[in-house]
Amino acid sequence: MKVLGWRAWLAFAALLAVPLLPFMSKFYLLLAFDALLFGAVAMSLDLLMGYTGLVSFGHAAFFGLGAYASAVLLERGVTSLWACLGFALVVVGLYALVVAYFSTARRGIYFALLTLIFAEVVFTFFRYTQTFGGSDGIQGVAAPTLAPGFAIDTPLRNYYLVVAFLLGAYVVCRVLVTSHFGRVLVAIRENEDRARFLGYNVQRYKMTVCLISALLTGLGGALYPGRSAFATPDLMLWTVSGELIIMIMIGGLGTLTGPILGGVFFVVLQEKVSSYVSWYFIVIGLVLIFIVLFMPKGLLGFRRMLGFRQWRATA
Amino acid sequence: MDYLVAVLLPQLLHGLVFGAALGLLALGLTVIFGLLGVMNFAHGELYMLGAYAGIAAIGVTQSFWVALIVAPLAVGVVGAVTEVLTLRPLYRREPLYGLILTFGLALVFREAVRQIWGGDMRRILPPFTGSTPLLGMTYPNYRLFLLAAASVLLLVIWLFFTRTRAGIIVRAAVQDAEMLDGLGVNVRRVFTLTFAGSAALAALAGLLMAPEFTVYPQMGVEFILLAFIVVILGGMGSLGGSVVAAFVIGIAQSLFSLWMNPQRVAIAIFGIMIVVLVVRPRGFFGREGVLE
Repeated sequence: MKVLGWRAWLAFAALLAVPLLPFMSKFYLLLAFDALLFGAVAMSLDLLMGYTGLVSFGHAAFFGLGAYASAVLLERGVTSLWACLGFALVVVGLYALVVAYFSTARRGIYFALLTLIFAEVVFTFFRYTQTFGGSDGIQGVAAPTLAPGFAIDTPLRNYYLVVAFLLGAYVVCRVLVTSHFGRVLVAIRENEDRARFLGYNVQRYKMTVCLISALLTGLGGALYPGRSAFATPDLMLWTVSGELIIMIMIGGLGTLTGPILGGVFFVVLQEKVSSYVSWYFIVIGLVLIFIVLFMPKGLLGFRRMLGFRQWRATA
Repeated sequence: MDYLVAVLLPQLLHGLVFGAALGLLALGLTVIFGLLGVMNFAHGELYMLGAYAGIAAIGVTQSFWVALIVAPLAVGVVGAVTEVLTLRPLYRREPLYGLILTFGLALVFREAVRQIWGGDMRRILPPFTGSTPLLGMTYPNYRLFLLAAASVLLLVIWLFFTRTRAGIIVRAAVQDAEMLDGLGVNVRRVFTLTFAGSAALAALAGLLMAPEFTVYPQMGVEFILLAFIVVILGGMGSLGGSVVAAFVIGIAQSLFSLWMNPQRVAIAIFGIMIVVLVVRPRGFFGREGVLE
């Protein structure tokens, strides 16, 4: 099965070549890291929001939990990246199982609020638990190592790590949404009752996609302490979940590539605007309002319509 | 008995005060939800704006009482303008868009306030001090006033919705806006005025509570989650339910904090919420099937 088209390969080749650009200082490499990481996380949320029609207001908790899982190991001297990722998978997976089980029983706004409240529980726990540093979080952790002796300690290595993660996550998401499973998700989004009447166990599908989206988000979170050397409870604030939703809305719901672009756009916009003015949140808020009012399908809205036509042709 | 009077009673009263303020906030939220189908994420910011507008008005007039009238009016105007410019085009779209739009509005309001008044904590002094002996304990006067004011307000709101033509029109719009439109009522104006009213109510709650809490740009973010919880617990779109749930949460919060530290209280409240959402998502008095 051909998963990635030539445009995707071209895009990833371009991403690999980005550090060669003459003006890519360490600062810009780290900015690019953030942009791609949040792009990848927004894409994982898009599985849920764009394809299944479930708005999660609690994805920051999956991200933060992944970051804490890896920071806890790094702090205690376990520096293997694979151990960090594995531990994050276990921790986020267990938590996501609970959240997915209870949240997917409800639809619409109730789903959004359930995920929000679960995330607030996690936030409150880490914010006040001194074992995990309370409101300061875990600071100054060591860089993770890919293999013994090969530490991911430079912005360049971090950058390539996140590009690899983005590629992996993109392939997972793309395979998922083009598979039968993905079609059922879209059916659930379009008409849940009808999907149920057709004999699909709707809740099991919703739980599975919730879990996959949470795990990808948690893995993204696990990469974060390697770049920043910290994990703080602020990563789990519900406003962060809101920002992820903003990224998806900017890029275009249900497009996978859209949210990546939206994430990049959001992170770069925040960085650029905040270096000129201190009121960048006003700019971001206005951009969001503008998009909701005038281009609800986001930057990639038009391609999505094309995509639907292709589906009908092949179905 | 001593324990009852010295510990339990003040805490209970405090819970009532807190619950009444929460009720004012939640009422606005639930009416807007019932009417416009929008879960207003910017409601906490309107509450915060009320406190800051109060600070501005007190700065000019030196009077808490004048501010108590001016600030809600000003925030009501802000609400009306916001509704006309941003929410009105969204009514025919999915509720999701309203949620995201008001999230953007909240960002704008919060940052605007931070730019104008700065990010640090401020205080509003209560208009009177001292305390009154009551049932064998002494209780601060301002809190008694708060309790009285909030109760009167809740009563007035209840009378408005049951006894006045305008209130009945709003309730009719919650039930079926299209039908109301067919009966010749200017529904758009009802929507705008209701939004303005709910904004003014949030602002009033913000200013009334300001002498008890501190005033800072993030204050709405923390309060709004509780208000959401109240709205769901009471049942989306149910006015009476919101008030009952506000008192339940207010009292639960202050009683829990006798025996637990703050984060356990927060987690306990969230826990109640999760159980309610899972077991009975329509809350105490909500209609079945609303947005389920």
